[in-house]
Amino acid sequence: MEFSYIFWSVIGWMVFWAVAGSLVTRRVYLRRDLDTSNAGFVGAMMGAAAGPFGLAPLWIKTPEIGKRLLVIPPLAAVGLIGIAFGLADPSNNCVSNGSFVASQIMNGLIIGIIYGFMALGLSLIFSILGVVSFAHGEFYMIGGMIVYFMTAVWFPGVNPAIAILAACAITFALGAAFERLFLTPMYEGKIDRPVEYGILITFGLAFTLQYFVQAVAGANPFKARRFIDFPILRLPSVEDPWLIKTSRGNMQLFDTVSISNPRFTAAVMCILVLCALLYFLHRTWTGKALRAVSQDREAAAIAGINPDRMNMLAFALGGMIAALAGAMLVQAFSWLPQVGAIPAMRSFVIVVLGGLGSLPGAFLGGIIVGLVEAAGTGCVPDTQRAASYIPAYGMIVLTLTLLLRPTGLFGRRFAGGAHGKF
Amino acid sequence: MNNWRISAVSFAAVAALSAISLSGTTALAASCPIKIGGIAPLSAPGAVGAGEGMRAAMLLAEKDINKAGGILGCDVKIVIGDSEGLPEKAKALMEKFITQDGVVAVGGAYHSSVGVGSKDIANDRHIPVVFAETWNDTITGDKQKYIFRIAPLSSWASATLWQAALLVPNIKKVAILTENTDYGIPAAAETTKGLLSGGVAAETFGVDIGTQDYSGIVERIKAGNPDYIIVLATGEAGYNFTQQAADAGMGPMDIPFQAGQVSLESKAYWENVPDGNMAFVQRIGTPPTLWSEKALALNEAYMAATGRGVIESYAMEAYDSVVILAQAMNEAGSTDGPKIVTALENISYDGVLGRIYFPYGTQKDPSADSKGDEWWHQWPDPAMTMIQYQKEGQNSVDAPIVWPDVYKNGDAIYVK
Repeated sequence: MEFSYIFWSVIGWMVFWAVAGSLVTRRVYLRRDLDTSNAGFVGAMMGAAAGPFGLAPLWIKTPEIGKRLLVIPPLAAVGLIGIAFGLADPSNNCVSNGSFVASQIMNGLIIGIIYGFMALGLSLIFSILGVVSFAHGEFYMIGGMIVYFMTAVWFPGVNPAIAILAACAITFALGAAFERLFLTPMYEGKIDRPVEYGILITFGLAFTLQYFVQAVAGANPFKARRFIDFPILRLPSVEDPWLIKTSRGNMQLFDTVSISNPRFTAAVMCILVLCALLYFLHRTWTGKALRAVSQDREAAAIAGINPDRMNMLAFALGGMIAALAGAMLVQAFSWLPQVGAIPAMRSFVIVVLGGLGSLPGAFLGGIIVGLVEAAGTGCVPDTQRAASYIPAYGMIVLTLTLLLRPTGLFGRRFAGGAHGKF
Repeated sequence: MNNWRISAVSFAAVAALSAISLSGTTALAASCPIKIGGIAPLSAPGAVGAGEGMRAAMLLAEKDINKAGGILGCDVKIVIGDSEGLPEKAKALMEKFITQDGVVAVGGAYHSSVGVGSKDIANDRHIPVVFAETWNDTITGDKQKYIFRIAPLSSWASATLWQAALLVPNIKKVAILTENTDYGIPAAAETTKGLLSGGVAAETFGVDIGTQDYSGIVERIKAGNPDYIIVLATGEAGYNFTQQAADAGMGPMDIPFQAGQVSLESKAYWENVPDGNMAFVQRIGTPPTLWSEKALALNEAYMAATGRGVIESYAMEAYDSVVILAQAMNEAGSTDGPKIVTALENISYDGVLGRIYFPYGTQKDPSADSKGDEWWHQWPDPAMTMIQYQKEGQNSVDAPIVWPDVYKNGDAIYVK
């Protein structure tokens, strides 16, 4: 970094006013008997973005904290960090190379969509059952394994779509069976400590699945072939393909943004399935029943919904979503029985960041983590360390968010302690 | 009973118990079968494919040793342990080998961090170790009495990388992807130093072992517009990076590209890196065309036992690391650590890698020949070559050796 003092001075200024804003704003709102639930967060963001020039009007007028105040100051704070970084390190690729920035944003978005999709399954399970599934990564791994073995070993040449459907069906059935066999004691009052039971039993499932797969499939890495090759395109013309230029495994947009085939197809599939899932949750009776149970189990039961069935459906669906993410990524990453560990850890971070039990929060959290990781990898000046800190970038965002908004971005007060029972 | 008699009996009892306890280790070690520990990475984030190859080779070594009469009239049992490629696991494994399994010596090991992490425990307990594939210079550089190595030093291996890189036409800038381990960090530093000595700049990108998604790093490397890429990541990380670089139009078919050593395992390489043709790969050990009868026989047995392709260098090293210990014990006539060390320091073992010996140790310090400390208990002659895949699906054994001239049997093809 050429002028690091500029960057660190601005960061110091922002931190000072963020801390002051957080502490004082909450007190000011409290003294005037106003809602303080988001006062600390808004005060911190306003302090970071505008320092005393933003905080003074906030403390004087104490406006009602609406969406505008929740969104604009954080974005302004991020923008300020960007400007400080740009002034401090003008030769950095993230400052001077537009196509690099566009590529990193696209990379972050694509991987973020996949992260968010996987975390969605975890969030769905938590919102209905109140259980954090520690076997989420193993469902992801099994999804990829099934697709690999179907397309490369058992039925070489089979259409990958069939293998993906099979992976979904098998993991759905596995999730449903596990929920019926091992999680029902939680709802029936047979377990004194359901939270711990849920953690331990899903841990047990994770180890069982991982070592079972290792015993059956071995521990050598493998990878499925690309599901589809991009058609060779040169648009608008062969001579000057500035719009789109494709090879079998890569697509280049506007001569700048480069997207690899497996990641592109995975992200597109995730978006399509997300749309289908949203339709299912908002437009079908079963989906509405699921949402009703997540909001109020007792009221849902009075309305004729069987919460037990919803428990089973949520766990099976959550596992299937993870498996689908794995099924799509087995063409992008080398696959091993332990491949689910890192994505599962990331999903936990995303779910807490987005707000426990919040589906939009999980998806948005995934995209935020993806973008932050891409920014960190691309912009941290020390190349030796930039990529080493990948797991840390998400944790920094999570820590800051929880510090200012303990419920996460879209968190709500979950019916704590329900854990699948009334 | 008189007091003096009581005292005498007590003294005798204490003396007898002391003698038994003092000879306990030897008694345990001498009991049949004689156990030798074998370290291999058998689960992630270690290089699992390599670990499975090493395990198979060490079990073949067990079979061959027993067929040849065992050690001191006893059968040998190789106790395989999983290091996971992690130093903390390696420490626990070494403790287990010594305190629970009762091994008298240890062979194998793939990751440098495993060697660095576990060597002190073995040395403190007087258990000889012959490390098979751990490159970090400090493993022998600490001049520990019980630690030996038949793998090349990291600095030697790095020299292969940068010397081969300097042959790339018009090379000005190199990107190095390295794992943040006891192998990767010094290897990257030594390679950078070597490249700089040839007037070539290098930029190092560090990643944690087990990283899967390299898209951000690939873009960053791409933005730097390097003329050559060197991968110093072990295990599937090497596969992931190489294929993702290829997807982004910066793979071995796009610019000169040296893939990780794990790429020698041809079947896994082509499955995981279908766009990996033209990759350069460093090979440790004598080229297959120069293999001895012993090496050829091991290769046959290995392929039959594992169903894999031709035996990899790390599997050969694992085999030799165990068999040389057996020979040392037979020559020492004992399983005592100090006696095994003396035998190893005087050994001349015709292994599958070649004739193995250790010119420097307690009898002759490396400084006597103006050598660095890392030469301590270090086999000086491991062959290092650079091959290049020049056909899709090619076996690494059939791939031409493009460097150094002494082994060269084909010309390098530089893409771009």
